Amino acid sequence: MILIKDLVVKLGDFSLIIDYLEINDGEYFVVLGPSGVGKTVFLHTLMGFLKPLKGKIEVNGIDITYWPPEKRNFALIPQDFSLFPHMNVLGNIAYGLKIKGLSKDYIDRVVHEIASILEIEHILNRNVDSLSGGEKQRVALARALVVRPHVLLLDEPFANLDPRLRAKSRRFIKRIHERLRFTAIHVTHNIIDAILMADRVGYMKEGQFVIISHPKDFIKTEYARPYLDEILPLSEYLRGADYSN
Amino acid sequence: MLRRAESLMLLFVSITTLGICFIVLPIIALFLLLDPNILAKIYLKDPIFYVQTRKAFLITLEASSISTILLITLGIPIAYLLARSNFVGKSIVEGIIDIPLMLPHTVAGIMILCAYSGRGLLGDLLKALNITTEDNFWGIVITMMFVSFPLMVDTIKIGFESVNPTLELVARSLGASAFKAFTTISLPLARQSILAGAILAWARALSEIGAILVVAYFPKTINVLTLEWLNTYGLKYAIALSIPLVLLALLLFIVFRLMVSRK
Repeated sequence: MILIKDLVVKLGDFSLIIDYLEINDGEYFVVLGPSGVGKTVFLHTLMGFLKPLKGKIEVNGIDITYWPPEKRNFALIPQDFSLFPHMNVLGNIAYGLKIKGLSKDYIDRVVHEIASILEIEHILNRNVDSLSGGEKQRVALARALVVRPHVLLLDEPFANLDPRLRAKSRRFIKRIHERLRFTAIHVTHNIIDAILMADRVGYMKEGQFVIISHPKDFIKTEYARPYLDEILPLSEYLRGADYSN
Repeated sequence: MLRRAESLMLLFVSITTLGICFIVLPIIALFLLLDPNILAKIYLKDPIFYVQTRKAFLITLEASSISTILLITLGIPIAYLLARSNFVGKSIVEGIIDIPLMLPHTVAGIMILCAYSGRGLLGDLLKALNITTEDNFWGIVITMMFVSFPLMVDTIKIGFESVNPTLELVARSLGASAFKAFTTISLPLARQSILAGAILAWARALSEIGAILVVAYFPKTINVLTLEWLNTYGLKYAIALSIPLVLLALLLFIVFRLMVSRK
């Protein structure tokens, strides 16, 4: 379990303030909010790239507030996936295991296991430049999951995918999460991601979580209104339209 | 409209051809005026000449190579720091690094004497360490380093700037320390710029004469010897000494261009 208490992070004039937040093991927690509210600052603080002014972050009762990023075991999937361009798919996935100095046999076995779960075994020897957006996302997911992180941090993972692929990727990540039950913190400005994927949604405004709730409860709040106002006319149109063909 | 555009392109092509001729003509002239007998004499036949020639080439290659290796060691951390961080006075630091680019070469030599010679600012310290720069091999190395410094740092910096910083963040999140993330991600991705910087710095070091004449006339580098022979024996001898340098410069820049185009 991740526990965040009385956390204050200052970045110029901007402040991130979290009084109390608990994220349970295996939970899929979505951080929702428009641009500039501090979602990435929150992620980077969790990762250890930003040092808090005060407060603490605990993982299973251990205070990790000032631990360096490499000791935290929080794997990051950035918006652009950031695959290492000088390594092939296999090299990318194996990177975290090689860094830990694990044996070649073990690395080979574990990489093939995760590649099989994520259905990317056939592209292990491919150059990362030749991959499609969806394939890149799966490789980034495999690279992060193979190190068995305490938490998987996903920073707008669907932002660079076209709408059709986005829907498919949502279903895919949901399915993988149900199978592997890793703890995930997913940052997005897309309410559909939040509703369809989250166990709980935390809505951020001006550097603070103003509400944390189940998606079903969240959509009833004033914070969901601007998002729903954009979606509802479309759903009403679709209800009246015959698009069965 | 089309005709005007074509005329403009024709004008630009003509100007480009003139520009290329301006550079190529002296190279052709050098080869046309080359006397094969003198070439054979100073490189193979006459020991009075070839001992000096070989020694000067060796000193030049040794000094420029050592200066380049030392500059790579210095240049990588400096370039990385400048590419990755913003700090107060960063543009001043960048300006200071570029100073040698703007200095007249003799002035650069005088500055090196003022700082690093026996009579210079660090003279006592260098004497205590038994390091001499005036008319000494290490004076040549220091001078070459001074004039090549900006080329090395600026070229490597461009390489590090082109590496997406998020790649290192991801590597850290996968268990790599800051040093490991640097050596496994940023350094290999910037390797072409490091090589390009090394080639440029080496070529710059090889071509230096003005500052070297001020700091260390002896032991003679090939450029110093060429100038000396031009004054003593005339143009033909200077041409024969220049030929290998021109070929080396051409080779270096072909390699450099190939590397840049592969990026």
